[in-house]
Amino acid sequence: MAHQYADKGIEFLFVYTREAHPGEHYPAHRSFEQKLAQARAFQTLLNVERPILVDDFEGTGHRQYGMLPNMTYLVGLGGRVLFRADWTDPPTIVTALEYVLACRARRREGLRLAPFYAEIVGQRWNDQAKFQEGLERAGPKAVEEFARATQQTWPELWGSPSVLVHRVN
Amino acid sequence: MNDRPDAEPYNYEEFVGSEDFLAFRTALPVGSPAPDFAATLLATGEIVCLSDFWRERDVLIEFGSLT
Repeated sequence: MAHQYADKGIEFLFVYTREAHPGEHYPAHRSFEQKLAQARAFQTLLNVERPILVDDFEGTGHRQYGMLPNMTYLVGLGGRVLFRADWTDPPTIVTALEYVLACRARRREGLRLAPFYAEIVGQRWNDQAKFQEGLERAGPKAVEEFARATQQTWPELWGSPSVLVHRVN
Repeated sequence: MNDRPDAEPYNYEEFVGSEDFLAFRTALPVGSPAPDFAATLLATGEIVCLSDFWRERDVLIEFGSLT
């Protein structure tokens, strides 16, 4: 995707954060050097070609953007947030990028466009096999903790009316 | 750095599922200026700012980790 959009003026970056599911093989960071080493392991294991930016040890950048484990932001030339999502879903990213590019093309053609605010409930592919594979790569500890957390925390969170939108969709 | 004395550390050892997906919704609405921060470019070790990138182009930023 990064290659496909490179010639359309869009740069793809990856910001490496704290480990979301620390396990025996890839534990929680205890030093910045360890964080750098695990970022390198991430790059190699997942064949990441995009530039990887390693956030500082305390997560200064990660905190400013909402501190979720797998967010996506599209920041427009000049520094304004154009699109954001609490999870990374490639087809949704393509849709957002195409929308932004199409709007610019229409404006270039002379159409009068005014910015407005919009939100959408996304639909992402919940690839549980791939997710489980990731937990197993981290180690048995990560597998156990995720299973425990989903039993304990999620029924409460997902039953709350304020997040009904997740359940009905 | 903990936000509260009893809060879990940023680099937590145990995943308990405490991520705040609801707070995310209002944290940084679309249309707002993107916060800038400095980070280490893994390929070279140099310190760069996100704004170095969005000064030149649109930037699609994914956040994540190995696990």
